[in-house]
Amino acid sequence: MKNKEKLNKQKPEKKKRLPVGRTIANTVFALKQVWHVSHSYFIIYFVNTILYAPLNFLSSTYLLSVIVDGVKNNKPVEGIAAFIAVIAVWSIGMELFNGVYWQIISPGNYDKVANYVRIKLSQKAASADLSCYETPSFFDKYVKAMDEANDRIYRVMGSVDNLIWRVTYISLSSFLLFTIDPWLILFMLFPLLMGIFRRMERKLGHEYITSQKPINRKQDYVRRTFYQSDYSKEMRIGNMYVRMLRVYRDSFYEFRDLTRKYGFKTAILSYLQNFGLEVVTIVGALTYAVYKTVVLKELTIGDCIIVLNAVGGVSYNLNNLLQNIAEFGEHALYIDDMRYFLDYEPKIKEDENAPEANGGDIVVDNVTFRYEGAEKDTLKGVSMRIRKGEKIALVGLNGSGKTTLVKMLLRFYDPKSGSISLDGKDIKEYRLSSYRESYSCVFQDFHMFSLPVVENVTLRKRREGDEELVENALKESGGYDKIMSLEKGVNTTLTKEFDENGANLSVGEQQKVSLARIFADDSPFIILDEPSSALDPIAEHKMFENMMRASEGRSVIFISHRLSSAVSADRIYLMDDGVIAEEGTHSDLMKKNGKYANMFRLQAENYVGKEAEA
Amino acid sequence: MKKNNNKKPSQKLNVVLRNDGRMLLKVLKTTPSLFITLVISNALGGLSSAAGTYFTYLLLNSLDEQKEFSEILPILIAMAVFWTVYFIYASWYRHYYDRVIRRKLFLKLQTELFEKAISLDVSCYDDPEFYNDFVWAMDNAGSEATGLLDDFAALIRTLITSGTLFGLLITIDPIIAAVIMVSSVISVISFHIGNRLSFEQEKEMNPLWRTRRYINRIFYLPDYAKEVRSGKISEVLIDKMNENTGKIVEMRRKYGKKYFVIYDLLGGVLGNITNMGVVVYMFIKLLNGDVLAGAFAASVGVIWNLRWNISSFIEGVMKFPKHSLFLEKYYGFLNYVSRTKSGTEQVPHFESLELRNVSFTYDFSDHPKYEYHDEDYKPPENTHRVDALKNVSMSLKKGEKIAIVGYNGAGKTTLIKLLMRLYDPSDGQVLMNGKDIREYNLEEYKSRIGTVFQDYKMFSATIAENVVNGEYDPENDRETVIKALDAAGFGEKLSELENGIDTMLTREFDEKGTNLSGGEQQKVAIARVFAKPFELIIMDEPSSALDPIAEYNLNQAILQYAADKTVIFISHRLSTTRMADRIYMFDSGVLSEYGSHEELMELNGKYAEMFNLQAENYRKKS
Repeated sequence: MKNKEKLNKQKPEKKKRLPVGRTIANTVFALKQVWHVSHSYFIIYFVNTILYAPLNFLSSTYLLSVIVDGVKNNKPVEGIAAFIAVIAVWSIGMELFNGVYWQIISPGNYDKVANYVRIKLSQKAASADLSCYETPSFFDKYVKAMDEANDRIYRVMGSVDNLIWRVTYISLSSFLLFTIDPWLILFMLFPLLMGIFRRMERKLGHEYITSQKPINRKQDYVRRTFYQSDYSKEMRIGNMYVRMLRVYRDSFYEFRDLTRKYGFKTAILSYLQNFGLEVVTIVGALTYAVYKTVVLKELTIGDCIIVLNAVGGVSYNLNNLLQNIAEFGEHALYIDDMRYFLDYEPKIKEDENAPEANGGDIVVDNVTFRYEGAEKDTLKGVSMRIRKGEKIALVGLNGSGKTTLVKMLLRFYDPKSGSISLDGKDIKEYRLSSYRESYSCVFQDFHMFSLPVVENVTLRKRREGDEELVENALKESGGYDKIMSLEKGVNTTLTKEFDENGANLSVGEQQKVSLARIFADDSPFIILDEPSSALDPIAEHKMFENMMRASEGRSVIFISHRLSSAVSADRIYLMDDGVIAEEGTHSDLMKKNGKYANMFRLQAENYVGKEAEA
Repeated sequence: MKKNNNKKPSQKLNVVLRNDGRMLLKVLKTTPSLFITLVISNALGGLSSAAGTYFTYLLLNSLDEQKEFSEILPILIAMAVFWTVYFIYASWYRHYYDRVIRRKLFLKLQTELFEKAISLDVSCYDDPEFYNDFVWAMDNAGSEATGLLDDFAALIRTLITSGTLFGLLITIDPIIAAVIMVSSVISVISFHIGNRLSFEQEKEMNPLWRTRRYINRIFYLPDYAKEVRSGKISEVLIDKMNENTGKIVEMRRKYGKKYFVIYDLLGGVLGNITNMGVVVYMFIKLLNGDVLAGAFAASVGVIWNLRWNISSFIEGVMKFPKHSLFLEKYYGFLNYVSRTKSGTEQVPHFESLELRNVSFTYDFSDHPKYEYHDEDYKPPENTHRVDALKNVSMSLKKGEKIAIVGYNGAGKTTLIKLLMRLYDPSDGQVLMNGKDIREYNLEEYKSRIGTVFQDYKMFSATIAENVVNGEYDPENDRETVIKALDAAGFGEKLSELENGIDTMLTREFDEKGTNLSGGEQQKVAIARVFAKPFELIIMDEPSSALDPIAEYNLNQAILQYAADKTVIFISHRLSTTRMADRIYMFDSGVLSEYGSHEELMELNGKYAEMFNLQAENYRKKS
């Protein structure tokens, strides 16, 4: 009992099962996607499956028995020959049809289906709330759904295909066996009893695999410490590697003990099944059939051929039929994830009829916010005002809530309480896309897309005149010379992801490209989150000068924890643990002699010496 | 990591035999029982797969000859006995023995590779091309070794099955045996052509898969989420996705037509025609009374089984060159000898360190390299190559505090690697107490230097083990570890932890393990240099994850702890450098200026320019 408890602990994720109705609905959903993309593909798929299903049984087992019995009982040769001819034409014709279907029709069409599902998912993803990325379960489902989009529907089709084939085989064979001798059905059904052992084996096997997980994780980890370059230096000083080798070796013994515990049990269970099928069923049925043929003369050699092939075949397929049906349950689980995601409605969403945003003053009024699953509020009653054309600096220690506040401004999240308004109207009342478009942003963790420089700067579909626009913006951000030195200039694809001739830019240059985003449009607001982190002091200096010039008339909010850049802001907000601790101009705050002044002096001390304190 | 060797292997037969043979011998030596049991179980498997047909043959023939029941019964009993015994062996083997013995082989092969890995130069990790191969070999050594073994065993199995079945067919009718042989060979050839074609297809389609994966990733990685939401880039990407699928479909059609001819016309249809031909031929023989029912049923029933076994046999043989390619790589690692060799001199106490005209370029030309890379695979660009040193001379004495500054890529980190002897200079010498460091015992030399790396790593072990960076001795080390953690500013956090310094870090092994924040990890990393009596301490950007206040405290702690030790700071924040006795300014691999802060400011060169820029805003307003 105790062992069992331990095992249960080790597998926290118990596989859930969907109700039958939902399983059927999900299967239908999958097939509908195929039907939607191509009617003809859908029809050909079923025709192929149905024509193929009886062939295997007819051409191997039944054909042999007809021939043998026909010859032995001196039936007319023409009849047998005609039967052979029908089977020959059918099977060769089918081979051709099958070939055309599997090689030419199916692959391309299936990619279309997968693409169709993926695009639906991607569009959903692009509109999902940012908060979803912080909810692990949502994110997991999302990644799974995306992964599954590639072949899950294909596998559903495969399972349907198999199901039809199996059912056809089983019904034809059992019907025939039944007509030969009804008692044979008993032999056929016997292995189903073995299903109990099979389930026990499967359950143990599952436990065995889950109990292996911690062992495998250990081994993987050790392997990583040995081969990842991140660890290479530390592994060479001290004797950490001895410790790691020990972990690795111990994990082998754990594995051996575990296998000993489960291996013998599953071996016996698996033996019972094989014995039941091969010896009891097949040899048993055969002995029975031989006895009836030789001693009682009630059966023919042809019947024995059928018994020989079909009893085993039916038992085998009956067992697999159960597995086949179980597959649908598994598919349904994955499709459920897909559907969950497709049915998801974002909380922050586009309203076509809402008014457009056109700039103005931003007022943050007593905003409180907490991340989903977090234990405390990240923002606690933050209030601030950003007047048109003002340059605002947000400063503070790591984790004080600066970046979160920026995300609130962009409406990636809505506040828990309090409000943010633009031009006197709550930002929730504006049309989402138009509201977000009124900002140009450079994020701390900016990213380049594997697209031409132009799209990386504009972040939208290409329009007339974009090249010139981007060239000018790059001049302002300091990236012009580098980009124009590339063969295709602003049409150069970034990264080598798609394009062998793509350019890999250094981090500093990437930052310049992403900074160009703010110069390429004239949106009323600019947000810069640690814009100079990857730049050296000289580049940082130039960038700031250009930005100040280009942003005339536009409001700028920039985040930095290097205080030197805050000095020139119109107003500084110092955030501390989710509240605005101090606000004012640089000289106001220095006079106030509070946290800001203290931080500034600490940083300045090393540059200008102790006299700064005076 | 999945990796295909896309170029068709072209190796000489003797090379293949040598490489594969060596590995098989190695398996035979390391785990003889695995080798033997595997061969037995496959030989039995081969027999069992042919046995069904044999029994059919015997049974139906006897029925046709109208033998007595008592004469037929032994055949049935033989069948029952055979299956009973065979399954006992197979179940035991598959469910228990094979699993354990395989892991044991993995363990032995991996341990050997681990030990090799530890002896590799760090330079190997800096060489992306070598590194990728290395990781791949590490990942696959076990499965490749057993893969080779499995293929070898499968060869035995298919050979026994097809041999037995073929023997049966010849006794029934040599003509049929010949026909089936020919049609099997044709299907093998068609399979081979198809394989080659699918190599080509994979190669041609790889960029398309990559594009697809890339676009998928953008939509689901949180990294891109903000950019995707703040612009209309998603429309551009979806267009790209549709275009890409169009190309995939086109490619599928193009190859599909070829596959149809190769696989279906040459393979499937031909096979079917052979099959029906045999049925008709044997039907006529049966009509004429030339054969018995057993021979008829066995010869028709055996066709697909035999064809399959012959194809598998030939396919199996063709896998061996591929194994040999892998093994070539594998042996390459095992035979690679590190460049940095230990000297013999004992290491005296640290008095001085001098760099004399040191130059260094990253050169990976002696690392084992292979020509047959994946077409899709491109080694990441080598970022280190620029970060080299040119003719650097400098010296420091016991107790001095030195700062090394410069922009990214100026050669600062390379310099540190040379001092630690992770690399040797391409030209010039590093001298300790006037003697080239290459003459000293390497392990001992390294143990004198304590380093906080810029990219420090925590191990999934206890805090104490992380601090001593290895096996921890609770009796002697306890005090030291706690003191070191205190000095590094970790004391407060430590007091919050229930198990103190025995707390496991990361949840990798232990669900109750603790995950430290970046700043806390950095403090533990710093404690490493406080925990041992190092004579030279190197701090590579030690404060990058700390906020200004923590950084300030850290600098104070280092100065206090290391008052009489030699310390080298690396930084591109100049704020840390003022407390140094001497500052060395590096610019593109050259030592451009050095001196105290005041001297360098007076010189008004690069350092002064950099410092003034960083200081400008602080100075202006305060």
